[in-house]
Amino acid sequence: MTGPPITPTDVTHTPNEVAAATLVCLPKMTPTRLRALIHHFGSPELALRAVAAGRLGPQSCDAGADVRRGWRDRADPVAMRRRLEARGTRVWLEGTDAYPIIDAVPDRPAVLLAEGARPEVFAAPRVAVVGTRGATPHGLADARELGLFLAGEGVTVVSGLAIGIDAAAHDGAIAAGGGVVGVVATGLDVTYPRRHAVLYDRVRARGMIVAERGFGVGPLPGLFPVRNRIIAALADVVVVVEATLKGGARITAQFALDYGRSVLAVPGSRRNPAAAGTNALIADGAHPLVEWSDVLVALGMTAAGTPRSSASPSRPAPTPKARALLDALGGEPANPDQLASRSGLSPQEVAVALAELERAGWTERAQGAIWPR
Amino acid sequence: MLASVTSATLLGVDGQVVTVEVHIASGLPGYHVVGLPDPAVRESRERVRAALQSSDIAWPPTRITVNLAPGGVRKTGAGLDLAVAVGIQLASDTLPAGALDGIAVLGELGLDGTVRRVPGALALVAAVARAGCTTVVVPAHDAAEAALVPGVTVRVARDLAELRACLKGETPWPDPPPPPAPDDGDEPFDEPLDLADVRGLAWARRALEVAAAGGHHLLLAGPPGVGKTMLARRLVTIIPELTDTEALEVTRVHSAAGRSGHGLVRRPPFRSPHHTASVAALVGGGSGRPNPGEVTLAHHGILFLDELGEFPPRALDALRQPLEERAVWIARQPITLCFPADFVLVACTNPCPCGLGGPACVCGEGARARYRRRLSAPLLDRFDVRLSVGSPEPTDQPGESSASVRVRVDAAVARQRDRLAGTPWRRNAHVPAGALERLLPLSADALGALLVETEARRLTGRGGARVRRVARTLADLEGSTDVTAGHVAWAAQLREDVP
Repeated sequence: MTGPPITPTDVTHTPNEVAAATLVCLPKMTPTRLRALIHHFGSPELALRAVAAGRLGPQSCDAGADVRRGWRDRADPVAMRRRLEARGTRVWLEGTDAYPIIDAVPDRPAVLLAEGARPEVFAAPRVAVVGTRGATPHGLADARELGLFLAGEGVTVVSGLAIGIDAAAHDGAIAAGGGVVGVVATGLDVTYPRRHAVLYDRVRARGMIVAERGFGVGPLPGLFPVRNRIIAALADVVVVVEATLKGGARITAQFALDYGRSVLAVPGSRRNPAAAGTNALIADGAHPLVEWSDVLVALGMTAAGTPRSSASPSRPAPTPKARALLDALGGEPANPDQLASRSGLSPQEVAVALAELERAGWTERAQGAIWPR
Repeated sequence: MLASVTSATLLGVDGQVVTVEVHIASGLPGYHVVGLPDPAVRESRERVRAALQSSDIAWPPTRITVNLAPGGVRKTGAGLDLAVAVGIQLASDTLPAGALDGIAVLGELGLDGTVRRVPGALALVAAVARAGCTTVVVPAHDAAEAALVPGVTVRVARDLAELRACLKGETPWPDPPPPPAPDDGDEPFDEPLDLADVRGLAWARRALEVAAAGGHHLLLAGPPGVGKTMLARRLVTIIPELTDTEALEVTRVHSAAGRSGHGLVRRPPFRSPHHTASVAALVGGGSGRPNPGEVTLAHHGILFLDELGEFPPRALDALRQPLEERAVWIARQPITLCFPADFVLVACTNPCPCGLGGPACVCGEGARARYRRRLSAPLLDRFDVRLSVGSPEPTDQPGESSASVRVRVDAAVARQRDRLAGTPWRRNAHVPAGALERLLPLSADALGALLVETEARRLTGRGGARVRRVARTLADLEGSTDVTAGHVAWAAQLREDVP
């Protein structure tokens, strides 16, 4: 990817920021302990000084005595400054200008670490696109198209860099040259899942990666739901593309509602388990996302009732038998056996018509089924 | 004082002629066997002595040396007992000299002198026939199998005393027992299977026909309970009978594996090993005497692997050579044995560990990837037909019966036989890439369609060749002389990326 390279000279740090990053990177540091420490001593710098001097009493935070002793040996702001400068890591403190989350969010992180070439993406309207990791081809296509659309409108796409909907949304936004923000649950130096290493690089080049945890923190299961509150807090609007009933995407949506954000959900088929979560959200009062421009309405960028024409790709008109197959599909995935049964066509007729539909882009094959596009 | 009797021992699934030489000399009474005997052969002494005494034949109180020639071949099993017993009588002059000229002797002895069956009778008799014997003495149980070898007179030995009388010409040879009912192959099923039991699944049924007619390897993927296994098991009801040559080969293999002895096997074998099968059980081998594995027992038939993803990857990758060469070579110091393994591989698999697949899947991404990795790309590439099977529609009616499908398959097999006459191949699936142009030509139309599919699906050279063979089989099933663009498109559709 193109994009300005991150050089150490790009980023400078105040002593307070270095102290905050040092605190974040202490072992067994949690958002709650960090907030308590900074609150107790008044500033990260004062808190770090207390930690280094071993002057932490049990009243300063809930960490046990042995954890606090461990902290004393690790409180090394000099090494941290070198590390931050080498990586080009930005440190955003609550209450400063660069900090991107508004005060109304109650449990926002005291410190955010961010890396990437384009901090200006936070200046644009931000929409979170989230969903299940086990997405259907339809869901993946929707997430990608939404990413493309938002990037075209100058909207920054916020997501979690996970497999499935997250990756598709990032991918679409980057493909259209838009701004992206990836919020990770791990430390900034950990790539999870590992196969997303290329995606991480692209997000860094086209936007920012944000974390509240220190370097070296790995993908522990409990971190992801906590991370989701940052996605919700960073976004002006949250769109759930596909979600199962118990997925992390619903947690994100719940946080967004708690923070007073608009939540939009893409409606799906009753038969699609990956749409059960989004349909439940709609039943609970989330706005159904029918046209992509509905997001702009939610953002207040467009007046309601003025749908934009979405350019549908031009495809050759299907032959009558291919048409019959499309009808048999009815917008849902199916396999050839079912299509043969529903359409009454012979297996060979189904085969020939399917080949035609696939070539013309009307259908695609994935997950052992034929999906209309 | 010296006698020699012709017999044979098993080497893999082939017979090896063994000359049993018996030498009787004065000296301290004793018995020695030389010539690479295995324990069962060495123990023959006790069996032979007891059998001779039970039959009121004197055991010569002299020094007996038995040599099994050729000396370099390992002799296995108890099938040489009878030859040794007869040789001792011949060497001690209690049988007239020349009584066994041109006669080979096979059989294991019981302590009471009865003659017991030997495994691999068909292969053994064929071997002694090649060596020039015109008459062969076999246990009663193996008479029907021995009679399958042309140009050999089969004599039945029921017990040692009777055999002695017959050899002396004192009594006529007993009649061979009536031939048993033809063998219906392995895996008897409790209830008769029929394709009519399967509702819907028009595509999967056609894929099954393709496998049966053209000898194409078939992989069915899909969630549990949609009928993959049900369908695959019914393949036996639509594959054609074995030809005479095939039947002889299958009978020879099964007899050598000690699994038959009921006369000619007419139905193609259907083998379905469980997924805990070891590499040796699957492809053959084992310590000492290599035994044929499931791929050999499925020779000229079907090897059905249910839950393909559950088989150990090592075992699956060991299948690659037999799939390509249609034979297995097992190397054991000092010999290498070749087992035939010309089978159609039919496999079923779930799309992922939870089995649901697609959007309903509850497996983690990592678990799904691991599951897919168990099936290596080279193995998947060897399946000519791969498709996912979905649940039938509620309105689906019972399908076509096996009998009516069988008519179509038989006709398609006959077309292939005519087309491939004069070549070493019998089915479309066997034609090598180099001979495709000559034997399975395509019209300009179909060739164009093949190019389009190759482009669209990024088919490898091997993949393209497989599509071409399947297209030919689809045309054969329709009784069509030419392969059309439609057949090619269909064949390409039958090559999905599964699981």
